[in-house]
Amino acid sequence: MKTPLFALACSAFALTLSACGLTETTTPVSSGGNGEISVSSTSDACTLSATEASSGTLTFRVKNEGTEATEFYLYASDGLRTVGEVENIGPGLTRDLVVQVIAGDYVTACKPGMVGQGIRNTFTVTEPVSP
Amino acid sequence: MFANYLIGLREGLEASLMVVILSAYLVRSGRRALLSRVWVGVAGAVVVSLALGALLTWGPRRLTFHSQEAIGGILSIAAVAFVTWMVFWMASHARGLSAELRGRLDVAAEAGGLGLVIVAFLAVGREGLETALFLWAATQAAAGSAGSTVAPLIGALLGILTSVAMGFAFYKGFLRINLSKFFTWTGVILIIVAGGVLAYGVHDLQEAGILPGLNNLAFDVSAAIPPSSWYGTLLKGVFNFSPATTWLEAIIWTLYVVPTLILFVRHIHRPASASAGVARVPSPATA
Repeated sequence: MKTPLFALACSAFALTLSACGLTETTTPVSSGGNGEISVSSTSDACTLSATEASSGTLTFRVKNEGTEATEFYLYASDGLRTVGEVENIGPGLTRDLVVQVIAGDYVTACKPGMVGQGIRNTFTVTEPVSP
Repeated sequence: MFANYLIGLREGLEASLMVVILSAYLVRSGRRALLSRVWVGVAGAVVVSLALGALLTWGPRRLTFHSQEAIGGILSIAAVAFVTWMVFWMASHARGLSAELRGRLDVAAEAGGLGLVIVAFLAVGREGLETALFLWAATQAAAGSAGSTVAPLIGALLGILTSVAMGFAFYKGFLRINLSKFFTWTGVILIIVAGGVLAYGVHDLQEAGILPGLNNLAFDVSAAIPPSSWYGTLLKGVFNFSPATTWLEAIIWTLYVVPTLILFVRHIHRPASASAGVARVPSPATA
């Protein structure tokens, strides 16, 4: 009795999540095909596999290759407004940040030790190229 | 492994502390029978969080940043509302226990019992999804084909086990407090812990962009209390103390904790028979 009830509640919740637009598929929506960007965070570096992507849903796959817990942020061009963030990335873990982005300039940051301004880089999102 | 251990410890403490104090409260006010409802709430939150976390880790869809922060923030604030109501409900029923008719007490216990399931569910579930996503990420690292490592998963699990052991020790400690002081002390601690959870919820909503002022810091003592240190972890896990606290968090914490504490202390120290009523609570109320 309990299992079907739970399964029902769970699928109802999962459906709600997607119906309300709370989730995004990991398949890139943008035609650019660079919807997934891998990020390597170490104690002194924050290396992205690409520094440019086309607008739509982006997935940052953040791997912590350092020794401290880290966080990854995507800021607006002012370097203040948070567009997206993923925290609690322990050493050896890989976690995803999924965000919807429009064209413009952004700032990425890894924060090894979870403090301070982090190791920052600029990131550009372009309009998808129309054929 | 140590960094993952500390994350597990912090997340575990954040989830367990409210539950531990509420449980001690129930036992001390002669409502041991209602403990099972707390466990139902806790188990429900753990199962839902782990299932949802697995779905979002291995399924085709991911939770967007905004949704995760909004869920964490709203559940935290809801948990605080329920805990506050519960503290006052239990305090008033502890006081009037001897004077009240058995039948009326049972009706109240029934009503509060449903609330107990919800409050335990929210206390654990508010950050349950984040903890589950962290644990599944550690599992992925352990199961990954290339360069797999079990150290993060072991560290995370040991951290959570430590938080459970600490929760149990807190529970035993709370039960040792002199009965006449028990309700005051645990109530005060619970309100301070709840204040931290409220500030945490506000921070989540600030990160989601629902509330403003994410970058207006009231203070930043990250240099003195690094969040990656063991003492930073304990302060965060127990009181939800954030070394970099925004003005909005600080203001809301104060606006919640100060008036609630004053109301609570007045409530429990009402003149004459009030404190005697607390002391006369029959411990093994076999209802």
